[in-house]
Order: sequence, then C-alpha cells, then structure tokens
Amino acid sequence: MIRNLNIILIFTSVLMLAGVYALKFSIENTASERTELVALIDSQEGELSLVKADEAVLSQPGHIEPIVRRHQLALAIEPVKQEQFGAFDALPMRPVKPNTAAMDSLFESLEAGIDPIDAILELEGIE
Amino acid sequence: MAVTTEDFGPTIALEGARKARGNLTQARIRWMVLALVLGFGLVGGRLIQLGMVETDSAIEGQARDVITATRPPILDRNGLEMAVDIRVPSLFAEPRRIIDVEEAVRKLRTVLPDLDEDWLRNRLTGDKGFVWVQRELSPAIQDRIMRLGIPGIDFITESKRFYPGMTEASHILGSTNIDNQGISGIEKHMDGEDVALLQDLGLARGNALAPVELSVDMRVQHVMHEQLLDAMTRYQAIAAAGVMMDIHTGEIIALASIPDFNPNEPATALIKDSFNRITAGIFEPGSTFKTVTMAAALDAGTVRLTDQFDARYGIRFGRFTIDDFHGKHRILSLPEVYKYSSNVGTIRVMQTMGKEAYRAFLSRMKFDERVEFELPEMRVPAVPKELSEVGAATASFGHGLSVSPLHLVTAYAAFVNGGNYIAPTLYKRDVAEAEPLYERVISADASATIRYLMRLNAISSGGSGSQMNKAALGYRVGGKTGTAEKVVDGRYSSNKVTNFFASAFPLDNPRYAMVIMIDEPKAENPQSGTTAGWNAGTVTGRIVQRVAPMLGIAPDFSELLDQQIVPPEARRVFPEGY
Repeated sequence: MIRNLNIILIFTSVLMLAGVYALKFSIENTASERTELVALIDSQEGELSLVKADEAVLSQPGHIEPIVRRHQLALAIEPVKQEQFGAFDALPMRPVKPNTAAMDSLFESLEAGIDPIDAILELEGIE
Repeated sequence: MAVTTEDFGPTIALEGARKARGNLTQARIRWMVLALVLGFGLVGGRLIQLGMVETDSAIEGQARDVITATRPPILDRNGLEMAVDIRVPSLFAEPRRIIDVEEAVRKLRTVLPDLDEDWLRNRLTGDKGFVWVQRELSPAIQDRIMRLGIPGIDFITESKRFYPGMTEASHILGSTNIDNQGISGIEKHMDGEDVALLQDLGLARGNALAPVELSVDMRVQHVMHEQLLDAMTRYQAIAAAGVMMDIHTGEIIALASIPDFNPNEPATALIKDSFNRITAGIFEPGSTFKTVTMAAALDAGTVRLTDQFDARYGIRFGRFTIDDFHGKHRILSLPEVYKYSSNVGTIRVMQTMGKEAYRAFLSRMKFDERVEFELPEMRVPAVPKELSEVGAATASFGHGLSVSPLHLVTAYAAFVNGGNYIAPTLYKRDVAEAEPLYERVISADASATIRYLMRLNAISSGGSGSQMNKAALGYRVGGKTGTAEKVVDGRYSSNKVTNFFASAFPLDNPRYAMVIMIDEPKAENPQSGTTAGWNAGTVTGRIVQRVAPMLGIAPDFSELLDQQIVPPEARRVFPEGY
C-alpha cells in the first residue's frame, strides 16, 4: 500500500520536476524573445527618431527656400507682389446688359420679311 | 554498521544491539536535521545576500535614467519641429570584463582612429564597471564595432538633441550639453521649469513627453534670418539683429541675431560676438527713443499735436550745444518734430513735462530693469537713476542711456496696442491669457496719436521711413529710424553708427511690432547713405513685404485706411492728413 503510494509519489514528483523544467525553459525562451523584441523596438524607435528628424529638416522653410530658388527659372515662379493680391470686394460688378430692344425688333421684322429700309426708300421716291 | 553490530555475541548483544541501533538512528536523524538546517540556512543566507545587493545602475556618477533621459520636442506655433530628440548609440566599456586590453585597443582604433592610443589603454585598464569610450556615434560605426566582437565593449542608446532649423532659430533655442541638459536659450529655461524635475524622477523616458509649443513662426523667423544675413553682406555690417512681437499677446514671432551659431554644434556658440543682441546686447537707441518721449509727453498731456516748437537754434547746456542732424532750423509742429527727427524739438517736448516726470515714465515703461522674458541671456539696461538737465535732454533723443532691442520692441508694442504694457514671451499665449497681464502705461488717445506719427513718418514726404515704405507698399507700416553714433575712444564717432528701425504694422489695426538693428553699416552704393532709413529701414520693408501675407495681412492700397487713423486735430497742421 505504502509502497504503491510511494511509487505514485515518485512518479508524480518526477513528472512535476519535468514540468517545472519545461516551464522554466519556456519562460526563458519567452524572456529572450521579449528581450529581442525590446531591442528591436528600441532600434526601430531610434530609426524612427532619425526619420522624424529627417522629415523635420526637409520641412524647414530654410531647407525649402534654396530648392525653390534653384528651380525658379524652370518653374517660372517669383515671390508674390502686393499687386497680385485680390479680394472679392475688389472684383467689379457684372456690367449692365446693353439695351438690345431696338436691334431685336429690327431683326424680328427682317425675319418676318419686312425690311424697314424699303419704306424709307419708297418715301424718298428711289425705286 | 548494522553488520558490525551483529559480529558481537548474540547473547549479550541482543539488547545492546537494539540499543545501539536506536542510538545510531537517533544520531543519524540528528545529523540529517543538522545537514538540512545547514542546507536551508545556506540557501536562506544566499537569498538575504542577494536581496542586499544594490545593483549599481549609475554611469560615472550619474543615474542611467538621467543619461538616457529625453527632452520634449519643441514646436513652432504652426507645429513645425524646431528641436527633436534623436537616438544615437554611445560606446562604453566594462574594463573588468575586458580580457586582452591590448587587443581591444588595437581593434577599436581600426574603427575609431581619432582615439588616442594611450588614453584608450588607460581607459580600458583597471577594475571599473563602466567607462565611456566615445559618445554619440552613428549607427554605421556601431555596426562595425559590434562586428569586432570585443568582450566588455557595448553600446547604450542615448538621446541627443537635434535642431532641424540649423542656425535659423539658434538664439531662441539655445543648446544642450552632451548629457542632454539645456545650457542656453529656451532649452535652459525649460530645464528650470519642469523638464529637470521629470528627468530627476526618471519619468522623462521614451517619447511620451508632451511637446513644448513656442510662439515663434518658423516661416517669419526664416525670412527675418535670411534678410538679416542679406543685410550683413549688402551693408558690410558687423552685426544685424531683429525681433518681431505680437502687440496684443506679447508673443515673440521671430527673433534673430547675427552672427549666430549652430545649436547642433554647441562649441560654435563660443565664437566671439555671437551673443544674442536682442536680449543680451544693450545699445543707445538713438532717435527711435523719440517715440518714447512723444508718448510720455502726449500721455502727460503737456503737449498737443498742434503745438509748435522752436527748432531754429541749438540748445546750449553749459559748454555743449545740441543741434539737429540735417536740421530745418525753423519752428516745427509736433508731427514735424517727429518726422524730421529734430533733436531740439524733442528736447523741448521733453521739457514740457520736466525731467523728473520723464524719468518716472522711463521706469513705468520698465526701461531701467530687465525685461521679463524666458531667455536666460539677458542684460540689465544702463539708464541713469536720476537725469541731469543735460542728461534728460540727451535721453529724450536716445543718447546717454542704453537699452536692449527687446526693451524697444516691448515699448513700441505698448505704444501702438492702445497703451498696454505686455511682457514678451516665447510660449504660445492668446489674447485672453495676456489681458490680465496688461499694465496701462499710456492713454488710448496717446496711443492713437503715436500710430499716426509712425505712419506719418513712413508716407509723408521727407519722413525717415519712406525707404522702408517703398518696399512694403500696401501693408500700412510705420516706424521710426534711429541712427546712434558709437562711442569710439571716448567720443561719438560719426562714421561708426548703430542703426535701428522700430516699426509696427498694419497701422490701421496694428498687430505686430518689429525692431531691426544693423551695427556699423556702410553705404550700399554711392547714392545711398548710412543713416538708418537706408539700411535698417529697407530691411524692415523687405521683411514686412514677405511676412505680412504669411501672417494673414493682405495688402491694401486704399488711402482711406491711412486717412482713418489721422487724429482730427492733426488736420490743422496737415489738412490732407499727411
């Protein structure tokens, strides 16, 4: 009885020992994976900080201006002058439509086949 | 042992053997207990010992956190980075782990040939746990050193400050030392605030720090810096400086002083004459100070715009006679005194209020104390405690006292914003936050008159600001020139001058005040002069011409805007306003 119990206990303890070691090794693996990831994140953060610094340099007005000047001729650009600014208030109103009533009636009568000049010519006695 | 006990005779040994066996078992148990106690004691002792060990995380006397501490990024008012942290590897060694010092020295010097051989050998020998070898290297060099595979040599990632604007905002930003602590400029001021505390607590790690927003507009800063550099060559000046301020909030929009330095290489800040002339330089302000005298007398009510002043002859003080530069030598009205920059007229204006009242006004404008400002590089102005009769006379046109350009711009801001003194700041602030800090220094009426006088000086014929106005047409700029003769060997020299142009724009609804200073300019061409209108004035005009659209000010050529600011009584002197 006691002997069986002992055997069972020995086996369990051996099993548990194996389990504990397995756990230990897996934790060690995870820990080293974590360290690797931390190092990776760290190096990527470092790279990111460099990229961000690059971006900041590239977007400085002091960096952009010389580039603009270099391409000033090719792009035909120049610094804006005061006269080039406009406002909606400065736009002139749409000009008033010219009075076309007289012309319209003339064209209408011509369309209808009556030429007003005929009446005048007749009055003057020419033809 | 059980076997040996059985060798004794069974008759006498039976009881003895049992007894002996019992004793033996007891002895064994005792030994076992002892062994176990000892074993556990050992384990326990070791645990206590391990618990007592203090891991030494300090690097050469400094906490590791301090070294890897980051600083918050600095942004301009539009969110553009002015200072960022970059992560760079730094090489360190653990001498107690280095096996072959000679080999390590030889190998390291293949990658870093600049290192001194003896210095490096001394550095790597010994029993220390940590020594720096070289800080702030590039990732490429880190790779090459790692490939050498020297034991006891490793890298730590440090934060290094980087200023993408290079020299452009150097005097605003200042710089940091190799431990990422601010040593000048706003960087030093930030440390005085809360960054140092965060770093001490070890909280300043990673990129979690909230960025610091400055009031500076990098676009305007760039234009000002560029125009000042241009002025340096155009007028062969020894120095040039400029500052622009928002008159309602006191925010500094741009601040530049040339010669300057590259904050990415802090050693360049040690070059002679690269100090911040705006805050740490004090100068005789010359005629720009006449605006102060006018404001003082107008506010005191001792002069009116229509008053006449006798400028026919110089004024005698004992042996000295003070006269006008290119004087008109006639009776001048107040606007004419300002426009023709008459020393005699200005003295008479000052005399209407008396020298004590005038001196008290200088104190009210804080000309005799340091400007309340974030930059640590400040100098106390030199304004006499009491003014003598002649001292007050010279002070009224800006001689015999020295103030910084920052004093001037702050005073001009107060003169044109309706009469409220607001201390300048480099941090973002809106009008609502600034209003409680307002100190009324002159009346709103006096402020309106000063605006008119400044604009008059720019557009009236013979005004000293006409050169400036040519470049900045449409932006309603007005200002006052100041040509201060330098003291050379104890006398005022007429060919070495410091020129100022103090201005504000757009004067129909002023928003910005600006002071430009050019030190010892020469004439640009034979037709031009060396007085301030020719250099400081035109620089002001060119700057306004470029920055006004960036600041949301549209050009407007309608005369109505200029006519609006003419005080009714000025029409008695100039019927058409100017």
